[in-house]
Amino acid sequence: MGELAAKKHVQYILSVEKRKDDLVSVVMEHLRMNGAYWGLTTLDLLGKLDNVDVDKVVSWVMECQHESGGFGGNIGHDPHILYTLSAVQILALFDKLNVLDVDKVTNYIAGLQNEDGSFSGDMWGEVDTRFSYISLCCLSILRRLNKINAEKAVNYIVSCKNLDGGFGSTPGGESHAGQIFCCVGALALTGSLHHIDKDLLGWWLCERQVKSGGLNGRPEKLPDVCYSWWVLSSLIMIDRVHWINKEKLVQYILDCQDTENGGISDRPDDAVDVYHTYFGVAGLSLLEYPGLKAIDPAYALPVDVVNRIFFGK
Amino acid sequence: MKEEKESNSESKSADLLHQFEQILESNPLIDEVGFIHPSQFAKLYEEAGDDIAIPSSADATFWSRDHKLGVSTQVLLPLYTAAKHAFMAAIGEYKRFGDDVVSDDRVESEVMMHSRALLLLSSDFGTAWNSRKLVVSKKQHLSKFMDELLLSELVLSYSPKSDHAWSHRRWVIKLVGGKCSTLQEIVRKESELVEKIAERSKMNYRAWNHRCWLVSYMTREQVLHELKKSRNWAELHVADNCCFHYRSRLMLRILKDLSCKQENASSDYVEIHKVWKEELDWNEMLIKRYIGREALWLHRRFLSLCWMEQFATDLCNASCHSEQKTSISTVFGSFVDNELRLLDSCSTVLSNDFDDFQAQATLSATYILWLTKQIPEFQSELQEKKLTAGNLKSMLSKMCPERSCLWDSLMGLDGNV
Ligand SMILES: [Zn+2]
Repeated sequence: MGELAAKKHVQYILSVEKRKDDLVSVVMEHLRMNGAYWGLTTLDLLGKLDNVDVDKVVSWVMECQHESGGFGGNIGHDPHILYTLSAVQILALFDKLNVLDVDKVTNYIAGLQNEDGSFSGDMWGEVDTRFSYISLCCLSILRRLNKINAEKAVNYIVSCKNLDGGFGSTPGGESHAGQIFCCVGALALTGSLHHIDKDLLGWWLCERQVKSGGLNGRPEKLPDVCYSWWVLSSLIMIDRVHWINKEKLVQYILDCQDTENGGISDRPDDAVDVYHTYFGVAGLSLLEYPGLKAIDPAYALPVDVVNRIFFGK
Repeated sequence: MKEEKESNSESKSADLLHQFEQILESNPLIDEVGFIHPSQFAKLYEEAGDDIAIPSSADATFWSRDHKLGVSTQVLLPLYTAAKHAFMAAIGEYKRFGDDVVSDDRVESEVMMHSRALLLLSSDFGTAWNSRKLVVSKKQHLSKFMDELLLSELVLSYSPKSDHAWSHRRWVIKLVGGKCSTLQEIVRKESELVEKIAERSKMNYRAWNHRCWLVSYMTREQVLHELKKSRNWAELHVADNCCFHYRSRLMLRILKDLSCKQENASSDYVEIHKVWKEELDWNEMLIKRYIGREALWLHRRFLSLCWMEQFATDLCNASCHSEQKTSISTVFGSFVDNELRLLDSCSTVLSNDFDDFQAQATLSATYILWLTKQIPEFQSELQEKKLTAGNLKSMLSKMCPERSCLWDSLMGLDGNV
């Protein structure tokens, strides 16, 4: 078990795209937009995005847009901020942000900010720091951060900080690596990382590495490939990534590959899925694994895509 | 030929959906749904001691008894497809009516019926949850809102981590909470539901998050009651960090209440000290009983941090009364002594073969180091007791060499803090 089975993973991603009638793919159809983002970003990191019919994807994405400006997880589904970010990220991958009515999307997101600075996920009002990150990330990609109250958004995130240095989904919520990624990412995007006690949070994050080299998302949990992304990107953003053993983590991710049929699973020998394939490859990219494009830890997009957005190259 | 076959299978799926919805309609008390492999059907019938003819596994699609409903895994795909199509058609029609037409009862009940069927097959189908919110909020009947709590509970019975199902409950509670006098009753029942689900679904973040969310709606009595009640649960699930976090959330709530109010402060103050002391003693007992449990040590970090911060403030406030000050620092000193004794007893690794003892030793030393980093007073007290960072570092480097980069960063290469 030495290397990344890049070719197999490309085949796997392309095959999932075509598979539409088994139970697993069918019950995931409400979040197909997220699935598309995971799959397409993986292909891009592997340098194989040109295997995809751009026009077909872009027109499907645009068909998922709701009149409110938000995007649904699939055609005919209600809009939610979770799918809106994926849609914007997919368009960014293809350099197609110009097809968007930017004001319309911006208004949708800005309309979801609450009085206390937090964000709701959609019109029904559930609040979560995940939605704060998504809003800030989306608006930053669209270069419209000035359309919301960023200071209040930051204050809300800071109010979700726990005594262990981590963050939860709402004030007083348990620290969780996924939530921490969202909060650290949001603070990074707004230039507010000084609100974080980096040693304290870095300590909590590096305690996520277990004996096998893999990372878990909370104390006493089993390691899982997706946390290679959530924990690792957070450690990079706060400049503490040298506190974990990178070689062992690389090995752990490689051990979770299906070298025969492609794809990566949460743990060795489990069933693979697109989600863990993406996070595995993205994790390896953060670990500077050879042959992979670099990924930006805050935007969760390839670095060249981010550069194109902000520097026109 | 092909078309005929397709329409045939379509009508078969529609029949399945109809059957499914009939069962749900006629048994409103169903409180658990599960998916069963066809081979398990016969066993279920046998166990129930059924006299009726046991259907062959090919015909077996649904099984229902004692308010439990089983659905054959073999029909999930056609059933889901039929439910989705029926739901999408109904919600489309419902939305086309808009607000200007008096809402059509037939369309409305179809939306409710099909969305329920769909959600019992695909728990995070957000559009189906939303459609129910839409219908129910137009009606504004308390009983309709309460029905939503029941459906959500049914969905959680087969999908205990469903984000949407938990979120749907909060949506309901926020709406009815202000209106009805039974908010405390709802909070109590919600807390019980989380406990029931947490029993089957370990370290369920969504479930415990919901319980944490409830804390802000609790009265002080409820907070104390929850603290008492969750203690037994925690003892039986010492690896479940969620429950310890929940307890810390409850304890912080008590602390916050105290800082908000002025009068009667001193008796409350005594009570809080008691709560904290008991929690520390209880936690120490668990640490010694269950060797090498991370969640227990992390909880201790929290407890000691708050405890010492409280001491630090007391010291500040007592600066003019030197007698009081001396007594506080004596208590502080004996607290530090106790923690060092704990370190001592936990860091002696009896045998290198025991992973748990190794973990216990690492966790105890990390705990002490963590406190020195958070509380400067602890640090200086330690130096008086002749425990230096150098000692700690050599302990940690020996017990947990894989984190040597962390130890080097925190304590410097030569062990100076
Ligand atoms: Zn995972």
